[in-house]
Amino acid sequence: MTNSLLDGYSDDGMASDEMFDADGAFRPEYRELGELLQQWSADDHLEREERADLALLSAGITFNVYSEEEGTERIFPFSLIPRIVGAQEWAEIESGLKQRLQALNMFLIDVYGAQRIIKEQVIPEEIVLSSPGYQPKMAGFRPPLDIYAHIAGCDLVRDRQQGMVVLEDNLRTPSGVSYVLENRAVMLRVVPDLFPRWGVRAVADYPSQLMSMLLSVRPSVSGDPPRAVLLTPGLYNSAYFEHSFLSNQMGIPLVEGSDLTVGDDDFVYLRSTTGLERVDVVYRRIDDDYLDPEFYRPDSLLGVPGLMRAYHKGHVSLVNAPGAGVADDKVVYRWVPEIIRFYLDEEPILPNVETFSALIPSELDHIRAHARELVIKPANASGGYGVLIGSQASEAELEDTLAQVEAEPRNWIAQPLLEFSSIPTFDGDLLKPRRSDLRPFILSGRETWVIPGGLTRVALREGSYIVNSSQGGGSKDTWVLNEEPE
Amino acid sequence: MLSRVAENLFWLGRYLERAENIARMARVEHEVSLESGQEIWHSLVSTTASNQLFWDTLADSPDLTHSEFLIYSMQNPASLRATLVRARELARGLREHISREVWEEINALYLYLALRKEYIASDIQQFCTETQRRTQTILGLYDNTVLRDEGREWFRCGMYLERADMTSRIIDAKYHILLPRGDSVGGPFDRFQWMAVLRSASAREAYWRMGNSEVDGIIVAQLLVFSQEFPRSLAFCVQALQRHFHQATGQTPKRRRAGAERGITLLHLDIGARDMDQLIDEGLHEFIDDFQQRLIDIDRSITDDIFRAEPSHGQLQRTAASDRG
Repeated sequence: MTNSLLDGYSDDGMASDEMFDADGAFRPEYRELGELLQQWSADDHLEREERADLALLSAGITFNVYSEEEGTERIFPFSLIPRIVGAQEWAEIESGLKQRLQALNMFLIDVYGAQRIIKEQVIPEEIVLSSPGYQPKMAGFRPPLDIYAHIAGCDLVRDRQQGMVVLEDNLRTPSGVSYVLENRAVMLRVVPDLFPRWGVRAVADYPSQLMSMLLSVRPSVSGDPPRAVLLTPGLYNSAYFEHSFLSNQMGIPLVEGSDLTVGDDDFVYLRSTTGLERVDVVYRRIDDDYLDPEFYRPDSLLGVPGLMRAYHKGHVSLVNAPGAGVADDKVVYRWVPEIIRFYLDEEPILPNVETFSALIPSELDHIRAHARELVIKPANASGGYGVLIGSQASEAELEDTLAQVEAEPRNWIAQPLLEFSSIPTFDGDLLKPRRSDLRPFILSGRETWVIPGGLTRVALREGSYIVNSSQGGGSKDTWVLNEEPE
Repeated sequence: MLSRVAENLFWLGRYLERAENIARMARVEHEVSLESGQEIWHSLVSTTASNQLFWDTLADSPDLTHSEFLIYSMQNPASLRATLVRARELARGLREHISREVWEEINALYLYLALRKEYIASDIQQFCTETQRRTQTILGLYDNTVLRDEGREWFRCGMYLERADMTSRIIDAKYHILLPRGDSVGGPFDRFQWMAVLRSASAREAYWRMGNSEVDGIIVAQLLVFSQEFPRSLAFCVQALQRHFHQATGQTPKRRRAGAERGITLLHLDIGARDMDQLIDEGLHEFIDDFQQRLIDIDRSITDDIFRAEPSHGQLQRTAASDRG
């Protein structure tokens, strides 16, 4: 027999592996796939990988690396070995995510309403009101069905001790779902022989679920039939492919700010070749600050003047609602378990990562004393920027970060370094363990729906903890099994 | 349909049609140059782009040839490559309005271009043939996979407007041969040139199928201007433009479509009311000049009145009220 792709595979006991248990045997969900992969040579993998890359490139499933040169679009590196989640475990994750989003939406209504959670001193007022995501102008506003965070992406990782934990919530304009759908399409084309006998849960339903959610939160004064649009910053935005993909799949217009106008009647209209047509729901993929130059940044060319006026009058629905960002603040995250207990009177099904807020004196002391064992993160940056891993930092880097923490305690949190799980990933010769996370997408409208699976992101460098695409991460398909393997 | 989307589909049709024409003309021109030993690229530059721009560009890059300028240079906005790069950029913003098949073929053509880092003169033939074949594939896929809605009608409007313009340029490049009545018309060199015109317009087979037994400049011009059956003639293109414009603007308020509608209708009537003898007496070149100017005016009316019409506040209120019933 030729050399197998899995020869010498070992994670050196560094982290738990998704495919293998502690004794080096296949976990039940992976047994069938693992046995197939043992028959594969590196050339088999290379050949399939090239076909997958070509399929993604020719379909133009790329993100932009902006420069004036041609050919600056790159594909998001794609790894053929999927994450596999058993049916039972998935049921648990799904109910945990629904619980979390239900509580976070109740929190948002409360924060912009009675502020019961602050008055009862469950979360310090300062934490909430100083969050950059908090929008004082939304105070007193109740969106349709009382939902602010309609589309959420929660990043999960598997910790050796705690199992699946939530690492962060994304409640503003989370992206990546188009890769979930496209990755699956490519897998079905390139490695149909790897799919398990008992089947995996389909993900292609997402656009129609999204569409019915959008229509379910339309304003009460909607036209008949109601009209939804997807508002994009335009062709040069890094997620443009996704905007185009989703609007295409839902059959709704993809619009830029200049395609919309707000009339003297404070309704929102689309500029069409035949005149103006009213718009009821705007699925916006531009940030709060750029939505309406009359309301937020006057220099924004992306938004629609008057949009917020129409919104406050209940003439149009915005998805997600402006102001939802206060609930995905990395400092507010620290209190999500308390938020779940407070509004639902239930224990969180999915645990948080233990988090220390530098704003709480006792927790700041802990950060100082245990800096080497912690990961210190800026609270309001994304893409993995500014993160300090205590055990790997130089003395000077550590000093520098701790000084920043003390200067602006509101902006920093710390967490223990999670040795989160790896999945076999091809490095050109063999399969090697690479850490990965999972971002399921949760839709909240009249009903709450969770996509079966989500986007699995993987760190492509050995030992790396950073899975973000902007820092060299890749993606994988995610298989939620229809039933438990026998 | 969104005004911006309609305008971009219109231009996507124009650019794809333009690219196909440039590739075809360049291929024919290249063969004629090789065979005759005469370098005639400069006439193609004046057909498709600007001589002035060529000389300006030459000042900065002295090695620039006419063919590179025409086919590959990004400094020439009307070059084959620049046209295709813009078509692809538009298509990228129109993905929800074109089929996946069309998009993937446009993108594949772009990747084919992106792989060629520099211009290779000996490769013109292969490059133009491949580009032409791929562009035709895109146009064919468009017709067979894209929903026949308003957007598709705008795409066809752009395509036929561009085709009418391109065919008129092909005729104009050779108009002088028809001028001196009775002179050297029908001589061997002349026949050679008219053959090249037919090939530049993809009209060679059509010409023979119509029962002609020899190449006659007047009959060639007749075919390219008046034929109701040949899909690249001026008459055919204008008629098609009229039909697609009518279908695209079925719901458009009259005040917005009137200007372009009038221009297209008059152009159509004018061609129908003439014949070849008249054209030669009046001067073919003058006719073509006038024809091209009228295409420019039609394009401007479509752009200003339909794609970019800004509703005034009064109109906004009225439309809003009528939309809500």
